[in-house]
Amino acid sequence: MRPRRMAPLLVALLMLAVVGAGCGGGSASRGGKPTTSGGARGGGAGRAGSGTSLTIGSQVAPPTLDLTSNPAAAIDEVLDYNVYQHLYELDPAGKLVPVLATSYSLSNGRRTYTFTIRKKVRFSNGDPLTPSDVVYSLERVTRPGSTYPYKDLMSEVRSVRAVGDDEVAVTLSHPDWEWLFDLAAYSDGVVLDPKAVGRIATHPVGTGPFAFKSFTPNYAVTLVRNPYYWGPKPQLSEVTWRYFSSADAENAALQSGQLNVIDNEPVPQDVARFKRDPRFQVIDGRTNGKVQLSINNAYGPLRDKLVRQAICYATDKRAIIDAASAGYGVPLGSDSVPGDPYYLDLARTYPYNPRRAKALLARAGYPHGFRVTITLPPYSYAQVSGPLIAAELQAVGITATIKNIQWPLWLSQVFAHRDFQLTIVDHAEARDISNYATPGYYWNFAHTAQVARLLQAGDEAPTRAQWIADYRQALRLITSQAVNDWLYVLPQLTVAQAGLVGLPTSGLTESFPVQYIRYGGHVPAPVAHQGYSS
Amino acid sequence: MFAVLAVLPGSPAQVILGTQATPSAVHALSAKLGLDQPLWERYARWVGGLVTGHLGRSYISGRPIAGQIGSALQVTGPLVGLGLVVGLAVALPLGVLGALRHRRPSGVAISAASQVGIAVPNFVAGILLIIVFAVALHLLPAGGFTPWAVAPVTAIRSLALPAVALGVVEGAILSRYVRSAVLDVLRSDYLRTARAKGLRPAQALWRHGLRNAAVPVVTVLGLEVAGLIVGAVVVENVFTLPGVGTLLLQSVQNRDLLTVEDIVMMIAGVVLVVNLLVDLSYHLLDPRIGARA
Repeated sequence: MRPRRMAPLLVALLMLAVVGAGCGGGSASRGGKPTTSGGARGGGAGRAGSGTSLTIGSQVAPPTLDLTSNPAAAIDEVLDYNVYQHLYELDPAGKLVPVLATSYSLSNGRRTYTFTIRKKVRFSNGDPLTPSDVVYSLERVTRPGSTYPYKDLMSEVRSVRAVGDDEVAVTLSHPDWEWLFDLAAYSDGVVLDPKAVGRIATHPVGTGPFAFKSFTPNYAVTLVRNPYYWGPKPQLSEVTWRYFSSADAENAALQSGQLNVIDNEPVPQDVARFKRDPRFQVIDGRTNGKVQLSINNAYGPLRDKLVRQAICYATDKRAIIDAASAGYGVPLGSDSVPGDPYYLDLARTYPYNPRRAKALLARAGYPHGFRVTITLPPYSYAQVSGPLIAAELQAVGITATIKNIQWPLWLSQVFAHRDFQLTIVDHAEARDISNYATPGYYWNFAHTAQVARLLQAGDEAPTRAQWIADYRQALRLITSQAVNDWLYVLPQLTVAQAGLVGLPTSGLTESFPVQYIRYGGHVPAPVAHQGYSS
Repeated sequence: MFAVLAVLPGSPAQVILGTQATPSAVHALSAKLGLDQPLWERYARWVGGLVTGHLGRSYISGRPIAGQIGSALQVTGPLVGLGLVVGLAVALPLGVLGALRHRRPSGVAISAASQVGIAVPNFVAGILLIIVFAVALHLLPAGGFTPWAVAPVTAIRSLALPAVALGVVEGAILSRYVRSAVLDVLRSDYLRTARAKGLRPAQALWRHGLRNAAVPVVTVLGLEVAGLIVGAVVVENVFTLPGVGTLLLQSVQNRDLLTVEDIVMMIAGVVLVVNLLVDLSYHLLDPRIGARA
């Protein structure tokens, strides 16, 4: 009898062996190389927000941690200003504030910036910050073989040198009103510890209020308070960014208490339910994101300025904002957002007027319209506004076909090979009007030289007023040419649990600064004035 | 597979550099990643790497792929294992009961329930479980994963809902096979003989029937392991788990082709091993198979 009773057990064991095989690959590979970040140490799945820790939900995970070799905004969101600092930075109100420099002076016909470097600053590994570290960091941007994604913005730097014990002088080839802004806004300006640069992609080291703790690719990044931080100690001891590929999962995590904050609600239509719920707060912040219907100025009928203007008249920006962005967002009329020094409200240049659009099409020789394809990347703003714009174009006689493609394909087909007719995309970079001065940029604008002349004149203008006037002239030029149909400024809709203060109230910087976030209480008035929620 | 991925439009270098890319920068980065080399050379290098155990480095993150897959398997391995346990826990009792009572109302009810289970996709099951157990009852996390080394109990809690979402659907499918295998056995001559010897129906099934019913069930189970791995890709995304499925989808989206190729090879290897084990199990379950051969 005994062997017979063993039979069912054997069956069960065999089944378990099959189960084991399913996991077998796991134990085999676990013996392989360890992850260079020190293994999975992501944010916990338990309840977030134990008083001094904070978990932020976000959509796009950083592909790497090296912000000096990859332009992904997700890297800057976590590391810039929180781990790395610049000589000057932008606050959420969009103003320049001194950080690792205490002040600067201009000389040599506005070509030389002399920064006074802050004293008693240490990196998160304990190394002291010296002016030579600043020189090293700035020279690293422009030296041969540099991988900095925005290195072109620093191309006018002629020399960087330390002066005395606490000063650094940067000399430019020509005066530039935007240079200090670029240094503050882009990753070109991060100050690095030369001794820690070798492991920049896995163990970032900076002087900021937080230090890097761990990174689980596609899942989470965790920062902890920097024990050597020179400024006021943040209330939070640990901050984790958790990444979600699904908006539903992200919202559920916030509702179930696993998240304290969603940095930017991916589906604006979902914001209404958080607004109604007293457990949450919603912050409607501005960004530099310009959602636009990009027009291939070299394609068939779209070569004609009248046709492009007709398209602008045919699109109802308010209706698009209501549909694609749940009513959040500012209508746009050119390549500049409110807050830019040279911002001009040109949104009413081509007010919604289908009759006018039809008349312009007739004047251009297309009384019965034409056929066109709108190529859409897989982002919510494009997916929702695409069909609406197609219907609006149809109303004036232009038959638009929608073509949905993945982002890598958009980059190669539309951006690199300029093989498109119309596309809807968000240009997220701050003050990127120089794209209109770049020959061969994907929308094939014919008058780049004219814009380049205006921008150069502005950069070298003796007064700030003249600089602004020249840039505004460039804005008027591209708007009158209807190079693209600018739709609206993409909002940053931050949803957070009620009671959290010190959150950034805008997305004007690529960083999501967490230094002043705290549970309850108030942030000091000067901090609130800089654009942190109180 | 290598050729298909190679002709996939969209260059990894362009994806890395984004809209800041100048054509020369894209070209330089492609050269650095070795993507400018002929296809056969890249294939030879990849196969050579696989043979010598070097999976290479990710185009996008620059990290060793073996390490990334190893970390991801710490989530996916237990998830598939737990999913299979849940699946068996659902399938075996339901299948056997369904067969024993196949003409009674309770048997019909079990059949109907398994049909419903088959019809529900696992991502829908996942979302329903999140709504009930995470959002409404706050019993289990809505997603995410705490590493084993940090808190093993929390890690299991993180995997509970995903394993149920994965296992219930597979269990419903498997229960149909268990039911029909047990029904076949119940109608067999040797079971009638066992009953004639005086054994009760349940005793006869337990001692003589289950082992015979196991052969077709184990065959399907082998196939279901592949189904569970595919299901894990979906379920990991619903529950935002940092497993192989998430890594695979992110790598496809980022055109991190080397990582995609390595993961697909790894999954193919696991399925092969499982099939081998299934084949070997036949000899143990039914010695007649070996004798006939």
